[in-house]
This record gives sequence, C-alpha cells and structure tokens, in this order.
Amino acid sequence: MHRFKYTKLTREQVDAKLAPTAEGPECASELSDALVGKSLKIVNDNGPTLEYSFRSKNRLTLSEDGGASVEAGYGALTLKQMVFFSHLIPKTQKGYNVYVDLDTNLTTVFEVWFSGSQAPDEREVQREIYFGYVDVAGQEAPEERHHKTNRLEGTGIYWKQDTGIETLDLFPSVASSNFVELTRHADDLSFCAPSDYIMVDDNIFIYERTECEFSGIMTMYVIDLFTETQAGMRLGFNEHDELEYYMFRGTGEVVGNLTSLAPFDEHGENISLGGAPKKAKPGQEPAPPPKGQRYAYRPGRTFRNMTEEEVHQAAEKSTRTFTGDANTPQEQGGGGMGGNSLPFSDLLVGKEFTLRYDNEGPGWNYKIVDLYNLEWRTEGDTQWQKETYRAFEADEKLVFFAHIVSGSRPRACRRIALDLTNGLTTCILSQMGTEYYGNEVSYRAVFGAAEMEGINAPRYVRHEFTDELVGRGFTRSYSDSMTSMHLYTTLHSSSWTIYMGDQTLGAQWCAPAIYVKLRPGVYIFDLVEEGCNGAETCIIENEKTKRACGFGFSGGERGVGLNTIGAIARDIGGYDIKRFFGPKMRGKGA
Amino acid sequence: MTTLKPKAESVKSPKPDSGRRSFIWKTGAAMSAVLASAVAGVSKSGIDPDAGLKDRIDRLSNQIAGMEDANAIRRLHQVYESLLDRGMYEEIVDMFTDDGEVIFNGGLFSGKNGGIRRLYCERFKSGLTGKKIGPAPGFEPDPSRQLDIVEVSTDRRTATGQFPFSLQVGIPMTEDSSLVEMARLQGEGILKWWEGGVHEASYIKVGNIWKIKRLEYGVTSKADFKPGRVYARQIDIPAFSKTYPADPTGPDKLV
Repeated sequence: MHRFKYTKLTREQVDAKLAPTAEGPECASELSDALVGKSLKIVNDNGPTLEYSFRSKNRLTLSEDGGASVEAGYGALTLKQMVFFSHLIPKTQKGYNVYVDLDTNLTTVFEVWFSGSQAPDEREVQREIYFGYVDVAGQEAPEERHHKTNRLEGTGIYWKQDTGIETLDLFPSVASSNFVELTRHADDLSFCAPSDYIMVDDNIFIYERTECEFSGIMTMYVIDLFTETQAGMRLGFNEHDELEYYMFRGTGEVVGNLTSLAPFDEHGENISLGGAPKKAKPGQEPAPPPKGQRYAYRPGRTFRNMTEEEVHQAAEKSTRTFTGDANTPQEQGGGGMGGNSLPFSDLLVGKEFTLRYDNEGPGWNYKIVDLYNLEWRTEGDTQWQKETYRAFEADEKLVFFAHIVSGSRPRACRRIALDLTNGLTTCILSQMGTEYYGNEVSYRAVFGAAEMEGINAPRYVRHEFTDELVGRGFTRSYSDSMTSMHLYTTLHSSSWTIYMGDQTLGAQWCAPAIYVKLRPGVYIFDLVEEGCNGAETCIIENEKTKRACGFGFSGGERGVGLNTIGAIARDIGGYDIKRFFGPKMRGKGA
Repeated sequence: MTTLKPKAESVKSPKPDSGRRSFIWKTGAAMSAVLASAVAGVSKSGIDPDAGLKDRIDRLSNQIAGMEDANAIRRLHQVYESLLDRGMYEEIVDMFTDDGEVIFNGGLFSGKNGGIRRLYCERFKSGLTGKKIGPAPGFEPDPSRQLDIVEVSTDRRTATGQFPFSLQVGIPMTEDSSLVEMARLQGEGILKWWEGGVHEASYIKVGNIWKIKRLEYGVTSKADFKPGRVYARQIDIPAFSKTYPADPTGPDKLV
C-alpha cells in the first residue's frame, strides 16, 4: 500500500461513485430484520437528533434534528444485544453508522462523510462520533454512555469475514491500529490506520479504522470478545477506485496481547492525540475541536522526494558519520536515537581480516586502525580506503560495526555483524535511492564468512532470515525522552508506536523490514521507512541483555548521515501469528 | 507568599523620604503594624497635634497606597505564573512594557513585540515551558529563598520584585526522525527538565496599570526531574550560544 498510487478523486467523481449507496450496503450474510417496523429516536450528545423509521430490512426514513424525512437504503446486523445499521443519505456524501445496545438503549453513532475539510483527499472517509441513547417515551434519559476506551490496547485478533477476507487486526495503540490483509494482498505486510476504540461493556467493543494515508477507506465493526465474533461495515474506494460499501459478519480468534504500560488508573476515556487541547481564555470554555478531527500521521505527504542528483549533491556537501550533529535525522545524543547507545567496542582494533559474502563478488579486506578508524579495500585492489567507523559488542564477541563508503555514488554504507567466535558475518548493504526517489534508502542483507587469524569459518552454515521475532513487541527507549514500541507484525514488516507522556501508546507508523538471526536471541532488525522519509534503522537486538545497538542511515536536503542508535528494551509480549504467514496457495479472497 | 516586616521607619519623621523608599512586608501583618504605630503616634503627640496628625495621615496614606501597589505587583506575578502554567503565552507578552526585557538562559530578549514575543510565543510555547511543578527531590530551595519580596518606589511609579519559581522547562527535539515527528503529533517530542530559582523583576506603572519592565530568570538548579519521580539528577543545559536570527528562537543579545 505504500506504493499504490491512489487517484485524487474529485468531489464530483466521489459523488458519481457513491450513487449505488442509495440502495444500502451489500452483505454476504443475510441482513437483519430486527428493526423492521420500528421507529427510533436517537438523541446524541453534541450531535444531531436522528429519527428513524424502518420500513423493511433495507429501506428506512430519517429525519435529522426534526428536518424533512429522507428515504435511504440501509442494512442491519445484530451481534448479541447490539444492532448495527449503516446507511448513506442519497444525493449526499454522508451517512450514519449506528450501534444500538438494546439492553441499555445506549447508542454510538458514527457520522461519516467524504470531501470534508479534515482530510487532504476527497476520497478519505471522515467521521465524527456521537454518544447518546434511544429516546423512549415515558422514560428518563440514561445517564451512562458508551465511551472511548483503552481496554483494547494490546489486543490482537485474527478475523475471517463472511466475504472470505481474512485479516489480522492488531491494536497496539489507543488511537491507531495495525492490520495485515491476509487475503486482499499478496505480500505479508502490515499497515497502520488511525482508529477509534469504544467500550460498550466488558466484552463488547466498537472498533473503527480509516486508512488515512492510503486509500482512505473505512472499516468498522462491533466485537464480542466472548464469542470472538464481529459485525461490521466497510465504506470507501479501494486502490482501483472501486466503491466498497458492504456489511459483514466474521469469526475470529484473539491471537495474543501486548502489555500496556499505561497507568492503572488510566481508562482511556479522554485520551486525545494531537497536542494539548486548545486553551480557553479566562472565564471561557475551550472551543470544541473541529468536526471530524482525528490524529493522523501523514508522512508520505509531508516529505519532499528528491532526485538521485539532488541527493548526490547534498551528500557531496555533507556526509556526516557519527558526528552527533543534531540536524541529521538519526542523530546521536540525548534527544535522538543514540542517547542509550552502548559503549564503542575495541574488539576489532588491530585486527586484519577479509569478509567474503556469498554471491557478492570479491571479498573485502579490512585493517582496523583504532577505535574510530579503519581501512578497507576490495580484494585485488592496491589502494586502501580510510573510513571512520563505530563498533558495538552486541553479544559476546559479536561485533556490529558500520562505515560509510566514502565517495560512493549513490552514497552507500555497510553495517557488518561479525561473529568473532565462528567467523559468520552478515552485511546490510545500503545506499541512497530506490526506483521511487533519491532520498529513500535501498538495502539488502548479504551473508558470508570472515577469513581471519584464529577463526575457521564454516563453508555452508550462514546467518539467515528468521521469523522468530514475528508477532513480538518490544519497547525501545532511545533516551529518557523518547520511547517507541517495535511490533514485529510479519516476516517482512513492522510498526512502531510512540509512547505518550503517561506511557499510553499513541502515534503509529509502519514499514517493510527484514529480520536476520545471528545467534539464539540475537537478531538484526532492519527497516526503511518506505514511501515517506526513506530513513533506515538497522539494529541488533539482544533478548538476553534487552539492549539494541545499531545505526541509522538517511539522506535529505541537509546531506547524508550515518549515526549510532542505542536503546533499552522491555519485552511486552506478542501475538501468535507466525502461522498466518509464508508462501501458500491463495484462495479467491476478495 | 510574602514575609518580612516593614522597614523600621520613624513615625515622628516630619518629612517624607526623598529618593527611593521601599516597602517590604507581609501583607496583613504589615497593615496591622502600620495602623498600630499610627494610633500610638497620635496618642503621644502633643506639640502640634494638627500638623503631626496630617503628616502621619499623609504617611499612612502613602504607606497604604504602597501596600496596595505591592499587592498589585504580587497579583501581577500570580497572573504571570498562572498564564505560564496554563501555556497562555500570548497573554503573557501583553504583561510587558513595549521596551521590556527578559533575561533567560544567558540571553537577553528585548522588546515586547520582538524578543519577548519570540521567547514566549515561540520558544516557550514550542517547549511547553512554564508548567508549575514542585521542586526536584534533593533540590529543594533554602526556605529563606522562597520568599516573595516586593519593593515599591516612593513615587509609586516603579517597583522591583523577587519571586521564587519551580517549573518545567522544555525545548522541542530538533531531529527530523519520524519518531520525533510522530511525538510532535501527540503534543510531545520535547526535552523537558526542571528548573528552580528566583525571578527578579522590575515593574513600571503605565497609566494605572503595572507592567513588567524587566524579568530575569535567576536559575539556581536544573535537574532531570519530572513529576512523580522520587529522585533527580543535576543536569547542565548549555546557555544560548547564538542570537536571533541565527537561532530562530534565540535572544537578541548574549549576556
């Protein structure tokens, strides 16, 4: 999805594409007749009063705030005491998705619309959530309400819908979620979407996500955790600009949990991302947020893509290696990603060796001069090239070192894991630029062995890609001021989520990644923030020490930088999801 | 909170003080003391009761007016602290005179609509600086330094004040990494620490309204403390090394 080119649909195109919604959503399962013949007056706090009459199981009339009645197609599904119905209003770009709790008469209403001011694209579905109740003649309005919650923070669920579509929906944040399209997409990649979590009762919740930086499509459903079932709706335009508006049922399985580190007295009812609330002048109430406002990280839109030539010129002006310059993206120091770096290792100092990687041409000769400087050459060359380097001891006699390849075009760097006990080595070879743009890092792992005094390296055994980390979550405290959580969502991707001040998980993003096993419990994790800022994070993580060390590589207008990364980790659990990935015969799916 | 008794002044002094005279006191207690001494003075006087009484009444009127000014300064500072605590930086700027000055972290910020606006509405705002928090453990100030002191000039047009502070200071992380960008999205991405010390301020009356003429953050301690922690470590925050515009939120002058 990072690479899909989504069409900028115009308002008129959206209008035309929405015409079929007048008939209501489709559904592979039979729609419910639970509301047929009934009338509901839904009173929303801070929202419109909605008066519904349901003439059949797919036609209703609606009056908003006492206005004229309009007729629309709709669909309804039930899940335990919940009735969920969805409709759009014909000849408009808006509609309502209404969850009614028949036990309590409490309601949650999602007003949804296209072409609104809170989104950069007309195609992106927007929403405003209203909590309220069904007005029953002769009864007082209930005091309770459904409310936002952090109770799903950490939960992960596998779903199979009645459409045949399978997904993994992981909830590692109170405002975002990860999802893996197990059937819609061929690659095992995960993605993130701004999300809402609403609590109905201790086992029933409402979830909504909008794929804001991608197609803008919305998925929402009510979940019963007791029976691991769902009933929901999907609305929007897919990557082919086709309208998707359907309701679904699904069955699933809770696949695990990540431990929340939020305070025990934090229930998530009022968590709001997007900075501090607007300040009120003395004696005044703060202004309400704009309708539809939500947290949405949109890195693809704010990043300036550069050409190969532009990046090269920037690199010629400035290629920073371990300088600690605060202006480099992956800077070292207290506020960046190197505040908790390991000490530099002198294990290589004075050594000479050759690294030979499978299918990677001639070997590389190295002479390590001191703690910060080395010389290298391609085997057969006569000239040695000097480089600044840094090395960490990631595990016993397992060194991770990195250096820029000075003068290279595009600017390249090597991150080399070298096991001094067996000679095995893995190099992550990276360079600026991809087929998409110049300031996105491209990378690959090569495996090989070292030739050095005292080591008899194996001929066949190599480090290898691994799925051992899949599903697991670890905090990464780069400094006392910056902690994120890595979730290893699939064999080929990961997400990271930023902790808020009270250690609730908030803003989230995702990227393709690779995982290499060096030793039991010691892995290389490498990701590039594809489709946005193009920066690479390459670390070795050691489960025994709960420490990560490594290097960041990135480029932009300020030049190219290679810097150190260090983090302290906590293992916060994970999901049993490995079984869903890997090459397999694919069904029809979507 | 205020303290100290009024400076000892002879009630028999026939002339008002020339030049600067200070009023330093604890509100309430000071008022009682003044009234008590006035009553005593009246009852013991006998030579020229009318002249003496008039002098004393004038002096008392001046003293009471001075106390009112001192209280007005305290209220002004309370408002300042409250606005800072609530992040209402624009409103703070309006509390300064047009030619006001602030000294902060080795930099002089000059002019209400220049340096002072830059300091509060850009630097402080971006770092959410100013939230009132308790002192860092191990860095509690000497109780005698926790006193408010206000001195009002005789002509009641100017005043000085000292007020202890204990607050959170922050600067936004400057990196371009996605982690920082995402943290900014949720109102964070800020390096925060604690600072304690004494505000030293001078005030001037503009019309009938007191304004801040000069405010100096006299920092005595900086620590890596945030509320909830039971320990803190002293930290060293470098003073400004560049002025505006080289530093977009920097001072007009290094001091």
